[in-house]
Amino acid sequence: MDTYLFSLVVILVGGILPLFTYKKFTVMKAACVIITAIGSFTGLYAALSFLIHPVENAVISWPWLHHFEIALQMDAMAAFFLIPIFFICPLATLYSFHYMHHEKQSGKTAISYFFSAVLFVSMALLTTANNMLTFALAWEIMSLSSFFLVVFDFRNKETRKAGYLYFIFAQAGALFLFAAFAVIYSQTGTLSFDSISAMPENMKLIAFVLAFMGLGSKAGVFPLHIWLPHAHPAAPSPVSAVMSGVMIKMGIFGIIRFYMLLAPAGEIYGQIILVAGMISGILGVVYALGVHDIKRLLAYSSVENIGIILLGLGLGMLGVATGNSTMAAFGFAGGLLHVFNHSIFKSLLFMGAGSVIHKAGTGKINELGGLMKTMPVTGKTFLVGAVSISGLPPFNGFVSEFLIYYGAFYGLAHGSSFLLPMLTIISLAVIGGLAASCFTKLVGVAFLGEPRTENAAKASECGIAMRISMVVLALSCIVVGVFPEPFVHIVFRVVSGLPIAATVSPTVFIDLVRNISLVAVLFLGILGITMLLRKGLYSGKPMAKGPTWGCGFTQPTVRMQYTGTSYAMSIVGFFRPFIHSENVYSGIQKIFPGKTTYKTKVSDRAESAILETVVKPVFWVLDKLRWIQHGEIQLYIAYIVLAIVILLLAQ
Amino acid sequence: MESIIAYGIALLAAPLFPGFILKVKAFFAGKKGPPLLIKYYTVLKLFRKGSVYSTSTSFVFRMGPTVSFVTAAMALLFVPIAGASPVLSFHGDVIVLFYLFGLGRFFTVIAALDTASPFEGMGAAREVYFATLAEATTFSILVIFFRLNGALSFGEFFAGTNPITVWGGAGALLLLVIVSLFMVLLTENSRVPVDDPATHLELTMIHEVMILDHSGPDLALIELGAFFKLLFYAAFITCIVQPLQFTSPWLHALLFFGIMGLIYVAVGITESITARLKMNLVPKFILTSFALVFFAAILTTRVVS
Repeated sequence: MDTYLFSLVVILVGGILPLFTYKKFTVMKAACVIITAIGSFTGLYAALSFLIHPVENAVISWPWLHHFEIALQMDAMAAFFLIPIFFICPLATLYSFHYMHHEKQSGKTAISYFFSAVLFVSMALLTTANNMLTFALAWEIMSLSSFFLVVFDFRNKETRKAGYLYFIFAQAGALFLFAAFAVIYSQTGTLSFDSISAMPENMKLIAFVLAFMGLGSKAGVFPLHIWLPHAHPAAPSPVSAVMSGVMIKMGIFGIIRFYMLLAPAGEIYGQIILVAGMISGILGVVYALGVHDIKRLLAYSSVENIGIILLGLGLGMLGVATGNSTMAAFGFAGGLLHVFNHSIFKSLLFMGAGSVIHKAGTGKINELGGLMKTMPVTGKTFLVGAVSISGLPPFNGFVSEFLIYYGAFYGLAHGSSFLLPMLTIISLAVIGGLAASCFTKLVGVAFLGEPRTENAAKASECGIAMRISMVVLALSCIVVGVFPEPFVHIVFRVVSGLPIAATVSPTVFIDLVRNISLVAVLFLGILGITMLLRKGLYSGKPMAKGPTWGCGFTQPTVRMQYTGTSYAMSIVGFFRPFIHSENVYSGIQKIFPGKTTYKTKVSDRAESAILETVVKPVFWVLDKLRWIQHGEIQLYIAYIVLAIVILLLAQ
Repeated sequence: MESIIAYGIALLAAPLFPGFILKVKAFFAGKKGPPLLIKYYTVLKLFRKGSVYSTSTSFVFRMGPTVSFVTAAMALLFVPIAGASPVLSFHGDVIVLFYLFGLGRFFTVIAALDTASPFEGMGAAREVYFATLAEATTFSILVIFFRLNGALSFGEFFAGTNPITVWGGAGALLLLVIVSLFMVLLTENSRVPVDDPATHLELTMIHEVMILDHSGPDLALIELGAFFKLLFYAAFITCIVQPLQFTSPWLHALLFFGIMGLIYVAVGITESITARLKMNLVPKFILTSFALVFFAAILTTRVVS
């Protein structure tokens, strides 16, 4: 516990120091990177050593404002969620060393480092929070610090708009969360976590649904996800990497934490989470196919992956409710491992996206192309991330999806809950196929083929600090994919905290995972041998170079290439009721056609629905109350006095 | 040992069976047709050649054929060929197996996109679209098999006390599965009515157009991978319909490969008597297969209880 607190202090120091040293730009950045790295490795050590040798009662608390208590507790789940925080955050900071390259913006950069450190620390505090007050405090600091990080480029109108949207969603989400706390407090009469499970069952459901709305909007559960595709493109890439890779997982953390604290009995909890997971998973990836801005696409893909995580957790909850221990253990284990895996490959992909935007000057994939040749390190690491996120072996995404599949199959055995596990399996299969389509689109259009614009052609490889971060993350994808055993061990340690999962012996997990590992090694081995044989077949053979076969057409241009839009068109069309795509085509009028235009724009159904059903009525009501705001200061003071008097009388 | 021999035979025999399809099609067209061993000649010819690479391509283009070959060859490791137990078998291997095919497809698709050709992009877009739909059918079939047999491994489906066979208690239900599995076979292996491997217009192709720029040994690897994949699906159906369990492994193998040959003949007949579907009808074709297995999956609630 002491090591852990020490690491937080170090990270905070790393964030405060730049505020004083910003005049020396490079020194400031280097100092911040090194101190953050030291703090994070200490924290990582603390979390891992706790997982290997758990300590009983790792609790610490101190009074705050006379009435309250700040309480922290380290347990297996907190330690597990600390791993991505302490692993991704230093890499994102290292990445920003070359990403934040405008010396003129030195002051702004220093402030951004400060808020990053605050964000890292608040996330860590959140995982270890041991009462509702600490949880709420850490949650708010996390939301606010990330808001300041998003509006880094505040002079840009779009960025400000995205920032406000995020702010509103964060605060509305917090509102739901606090409402859940209020429900719990009204039942238990204390802010402590200890007596929550003693609540009556119907109140548990209300508290859980409210908390799920609040936590889910942070996690990006469809249809509460709409801040994600706006905030991520607006934020600097290292910030997007941390927000998408780590911060949105705090919503997932909250869901698991409250589920475990409530310890509810009904099947309804699992059913809610499973349905939410299916909707997020499928629609998230469909929207990812529909959009063609690299960071927007990745934001939607986060919605998809949150869906996959929820599928795992939902299976776990359903397993607990129906007494199906295999489904419970594998569901939770798969969901948790996917949290870890997603934090790795999503940060990797956001960093790759960042270096593309940095060097090619645009994130619109239809204006890119051919970057694999000019940015080989970014391209190759991005490819690894893309294969991993599609859940394909031998990379890490496959391992967690495999565990979820396995849990779902074992859910089929119970007659009553047959339909949901079956739909889960089909959803996972469809999500897998769509994710592969989406990331072949992204890699194929942005990194392969010929550059579509001048800027894309002139792009060059990014700075060494950025490359190191990406290579480390790409290697992690491979290591977790090929040797998942220690990682599954850690996940199993967290899951075995559940009473029901304790009946599943760890050997079942280990045998399975060893087999996956065997297949991965075998695959890499056979691939290596085949590559050698192929080399042998080609030795001494004539190898020619020529233009791509254009089916007889001799004047190809780069504009003829398939774009992301055309690639995804038919799949997006298939899901038409759920995704709105607006096409404007000028048509061909004359015998010798002149210039024609074709425009297509995908708009988010959830966004327009929330606009219609929530924002407009709220505006209507507020419009009617306009007369309260008249600008007369003495009347404002009268309001305050009146309010106090009423409150005093009401008591 | 027996398993490895069976696996070797399957790999070696894979290029033979597509010859059957060509023979059947020639018969329907009233022609003599190419020799039965034509695919061996093609592969050997390609192995002897060099390659031409497009200047637009990167290392991804060269990796595509190798990955798709390796994944298809690995998928056959899990299949109980001719009654021999699979080379590799563990609980959950079916999921690994279909994801390996997914990996092969991923690399085939990005290799196609690497050429900067509009035609290959078109083929790639169609491939991922149709494959996604077919995935739903495939995993529904696994759901049914798990319900019937409690196994999650390809070998265990067809072994043990309660094997999945059309001659067993759930036979009527498995007929639906076989029909949709055959439809998936046609889809996944780019056969008529989904795709036409013999067409001449690039605009109408799916799989063939994606490999337009590959040549020489790379093309041979792609072809071999495609033969293995077709063999995999044919063996899958064969395992379900095989009526008898001979004690002699030779007789058993003979029967197994005989039935498998008949499935290839069925593919040939389908190709001869149907025209390919319009592109916008293909999703309906695949979703029909999904509807069939979904229906069968719901039926399992009765059959099992």
